[in-house]
Amino acid sequence: MRWDLLGVVFKKEVLDSLRDRRTLAMVLFFPVFGPMVLAGTLSLVSREARSVDEKPVALPVVAAERAPNLMAFLAERGIEVKPAPADPAAAVRGGDADVVLEIPAEHAEALRAGRPAPVKLYLDESRRSGRASVERVKALLENYSRRIGVQRLVLRGVHPAATTALAVEEVDLATPQSRAAMLLSMLPYFLIIALFTGGMSVAIDATAGERERQSMEALLLHPVPRSAVVLGKLLATAAFAGVALLETTIGFGLVPHLVPMEAMGFSMRLEPAVLARILVLMLPLLFLVSAFILLVASRARTFRAAQSSVSFMMLVPATPGIVLGLVPVKLQSWMLAIPAFGDQLLVNRLLRGEAVEPGQMALCMASTLLWAALVAALTVRAFKDEKFLFGKA
Amino acid sequence: MIVLSDVKKRFGDVEALRGVSFTVADGQITGLLGPNGAGKTTALRIVYGVMAPDTGKASVDGLDLAADRLAAQARLGVLAHAQGLYLRLTAREHVRYSGQLHGLRGPALERRIEELAALLEMGEFLDRRADGFSQGQKLKVALARALVHDPRNVVLDEPTSGLDVAGTRAVRALLKKLRDEGRCVLFSTHVMQEVSAVCDRVVVVARGQVVADGTPEALKAATGKATLEDAFVAAIGSEEGLG
Repeated sequence: MRWDLLGVVFKKEVLDSLRDRRTLAMVLFFPVFGPMVLAGTLSLVSREARSVDEKPVALPVVAAERAPNLMAFLAERGIEVKPAPADPAAAVRGGDADVVLEIPAEHAEALRAGRPAPVKLYLDESRRSGRASVERVKALLENYSRRIGVQRLVLRGVHPAATTALAVEEVDLATPQSRAAMLLSMLPYFLIIALFTGGMSVAIDATAGERERQSMEALLLHPVPRSAVVLGKLLATAAFAGVALLETTIGFGLVPHLVPMEAMGFSMRLEPAVLARILVLMLPLLFLVSAFILLVASRARTFRAAQSSVSFMMLVPATPGIVLGLVPVKLQSWMLAIPAFGDQLLVNRLLRGEAVEPGQMALCMASTLLWAALVAALTVRAFKDEKFLFGKA
Repeated sequence: MIVLSDVKKRFGDVEALRGVSFTVADGQITGLLGPNGAGKTTALRIVYGVMAPDTGKASVDGLDLAADRLAAQARLGVLAHAQGLYLRLTAREHVRYSGQLHGLRGPALERRIEELAALLEMGEFLDRRADGFSQGQKLKVALARALVHDPRNVVLDEPTSGLDVAGTRAVRALLKKLRDEGRCVLFSTHVMQEVSAVCDRVVVVARGQVVADGTPEALKAATGKATLEDAFVAAIGSEEGLG
């Protein structure tokens, strides 16, 4: 291999791309997208979580004076009792209030007599936004009802536990946290997207672009082996893709410093040591994706055709990530040998703080590297094809 | 010295070259003359090694393009059919890239770039980016690229197309200078005046075949015509595609 000539091609492609604003914009801004989505989702999740637990809920009450003890109970637990609007039903329907409580006239009388005392809740089940307030008010009313009940039983000499036949423990999976868990399975894909967006404009410019600009012929008439030309372009592509990958990874590393992670309800490991392992793991994939983009772009007839086929190809490695998000997959060794899929499985495990054995890393990396060499060889072959150089000729 | 022997090349149904043979000697300017579509560009592309013939051989200084492409290409300076430039690189960076691809490095290369810039009068745009270069400026960059490694053999595909009178005269002077330095110069053209102005020898191609090969005088004598133009028309058998 003529490493010196490879270096010449590499340096020229890097210099050329560094002067291209479009390429720079792609490389600098796109990779930040993944971390931003993560940070955004997390801060949304934690805000929702906080609003449920901490924020006082405003509760308009019709005829609050009929149940002073209940009002005191609610106020103690962070409910802000307010005078009710003239038409409670209209207020809820119109979205002015999430929920309105009404104390009917017979309430006090029934309570004194030991009968179930009516309270009336106006709410709209179909509306999601006020759900948290509604649930909280319902839970507190339930709680109050149980307390009074327990007191009555005790007065009659019955142990309160006798009324509880089942001890139901709820494990709620439909919390906002589950959305964050879904996001976790998407994180590895964001890393792969970074590789594509970082490398694609360099690769396209160096292949379909060079041909469309009619500079390819002048390049290939030099006494340079095709393999040196292709590998120079491949390394330049990988350099930009690598910068994008690094950016995305560092971005993920910064997320815990920007938004609270506790709200997620499970651990996501984003500390430097984990991210460093992820980078090492993805190094072969960096070369595979670069070679792949280069091959696809070499095969395209025009610059635009190359852009659309590369953008389309970006979806291919997304498929396993989406499947992973929907169906939990048990890790099997053969899966690690599938490039991009194996990487996503292992990155996912690393992020969850699960054990990844060196052998698993090695299998995944070796297989991906093999594929990268194969795709690079195919690209060299494409460059030797006269049809590639002269289009339809 | 450049030799093509019985070169055939076919693109699908089109037979671009049907057994082309000619020899280009050192210290001479040889014009490859023919109407558009005669196969001139294909012949030259085979000479500078970006296309392979279906049958037949091409060699540069005895080095076979098929067996020893890199060594043969190293002895060639080429102004290719397509002369696209990298819009974000300067003229100097173009010539430097080409020199580096030929294995030149360091101060020797930089000196050579300055020499060529002086020879081709590129000083004014040497460090400007190629975006917005005129036709003449682009050609000068391409010529400097072709000559950066001081090649013994120079191949130029339609070097004067798109140039004004002054540009054309400058290119002709350059070709003569290269010849006087003892180099082997081969260029293609479909312009008759070009041939009478600079060529020591003419190879006339039409429909993928060599139809005449010799000095302009010999060509006139062989066809019994008084002017080169008439001789050319007689040689190719029609006036089609002449400029």
